[in-house]
Amino acid sequence: MQGSTRRMGVMTDVHRRFLQLLMTHGVLEEWDVKRLQRHCYKVHDRNATVDKLEDFINNINSVLESLYIEIKRGVTEDDGRPIYALVNLATTSISKMATDFAENELDLFRKALELIIDSETGFASSTNILNLVDQLKGKKMRKKEAEQVLQKYVQNKWLIEKEGEFTLHGRAILEMEQYIRETYPDAVKICNICHSLLIQGQSCETCGIRMHLPCVAKYFQSNAEPRCPHCNDYWPHEIPKVFDPEKERESGVLKSNKKALRSRQH
Amino acid sequence: MLQKPRNRGRSSGQAERDRDWSHGGNPGASRAGEDARVLRDGFAEEAPSTSRGPGASQGSQGPSPQGARRAQAAPAVGPRSQKQLELKVSELVQFLLIKDQKKIPIKRADILKHVIGDYKDIFPDLFKRAAERLQYVFGYKLVELEPKSNTYILINTLEPVEEDAEMRGDQGTPTTGLLMIVLGLIFMKGNTIKETEVWDFLRRLGVYPTKKHLIFGDPKKLITEDFVRQRYLEYRRIPHTDPVDYEFQWGPRTNLETSKMKVLKFVAKVHNQDPKDWPAQYCEALADEENRARPQPSGPAPSS
Repeated sequence: MQGSTRRMGVMTDVHRRFLQLLMTHGVLEEWDVKRLQRHCYKVHDRNATVDKLEDFINNINSVLESLYIEIKRGVTEDDGRPIYALVNLATTSISKMATDFAENELDLFRKALELIIDSETGFASSTNILNLVDQLKGKKMRKKEAEQVLQKYVQNKWLIEKEGEFTLHGRAILEMEQYIRETYPDAVKICNICHSLLIQGQSCETCGIRMHLPCVAKYFQSNAEPRCPHCNDYWPHEIPKVFDPEKERESGVLKSNKKALRSRQH
Repeated sequence: MLQKPRNRGRSSGQAERDRDWSHGGNPGASRAGEDARVLRDGFAEEAPSTSRGPGASQGSQGPSPQGARRAQAAPAVGPRSQKQLELKVSELVQFLLIKDQKKIPIKRADILKHVIGDYKDIFPDLFKRAAERLQYVFGYKLVELEPKSNTYILINTLEPVEEDAEMRGDQGTPTTGLLMIVLGLIFMKGNTIKETEVWDFLRRLGVYPTKKHLIFGDPKKLITEDFVRQRYLEYRRIPHTDPVDYEFQWGPRTNLETSKMKVLKFVAKVHNQDPKDWPAQYCEALADEENRARPQPSGPAPSS
């Protein structure tokens, strides 16, 4: 950006291969990102010490800055896993989606998005979404077709399905947070701790403030008597555990089960 | 009660947009206006052009005299700012990346229609900058498919490595194997081969034109349609044949993405032999390598 004092980084083939392969994923978990980074070093520069991931990515981002895109890091709303996606900084529309979906399909997504944002839980039921099929712009779509389109969104990691209900995938939140906050400023919920967009989370029953599950986990970590940061009332919900990448890798067997579960959710 | 998205009311949104302009907000049309167009973002193939330059006309881009276009330009008329140029280049880069991902050669006309719009006067400059960014940042070379064709593809300057396949998020192209076999066949048979010969060979590998294949799906469609559309193969009808027969040759993309030597090495590997075991083809491949080593005319200069 003009007048930026950030020193622009240097791209090497290690970074380029990383970027090329990263782009083949809509979104990638941190552990896989690290694997990818190691792979790229192995191909081009076996003997070099692998940069710390944060520095590696910051370097690439300083080069991407002039293109108004960046590799953004986020955290999944349900279990606090760090994820990465290449996102557009300049536009607030859903451009990446626009190339893979037709007008009526995009409108279906928008309808689902609005229901999700307006909901109390961050989830919109399949039934409610499908009932809006008649209001879609573009070619007429039947409910059966709409069900398949929703599945396409799940496969492409824009939506997550859980027991017949849909919410936003971490990828969608990373890509569209700015767009959502600007387009629905009165309806969006914000986390009291990190001040980012909140779709799923816990809320205080007294004063109504909301927090992401991973933010709750971090905030109340090793706190025997969790209290609302705003009104100090007793926090009534179960406090989730902080995501621990080390524990993840140790429980190898459990991980493969979790993966099966995740692939349904994510 | 469903909250209506605020940007449906243009007047209320205007102040917000102007304020956000300094934040890397996109000038002009993109955030304004109907949601459908916003969602389409001008990248969808059938969508009417939505050039997002300043003063972009909403809806179709009819030809308009230079003067009228300038008059339509929003606030800062005259030389475009650094930021506006950068944003335009960014759009162009992303457009090219997305189109190339589908392996569709990109037509200059589409670029002008969907991305460049009002910036047509500086198209060569934007194009050059985009090509430079694609090379430096992503490692892709923007090349013209054939001289004067005004269609472009991206060539990967990084050599693909076997382990890349595990690291990919998409399927890559599992069909690449089949393509390589066909390319190999064509080359080994003297650069042109009849379709009937292709199927005679493929049948031995369990690939049939009429039968669905576990990996390749519809091999007939893949070879006679998809690979042709992607410009890897040329597929021509042989005149005066009865029953009708077709012939295959390498397409322009193949010559850009691979080489006779590389294909010969692939064939040799498959047979567990040495490329030199086919002296005629080896000679031809060598000559081709020499040709490539000679300096080529530079860059994807768009004939404007």
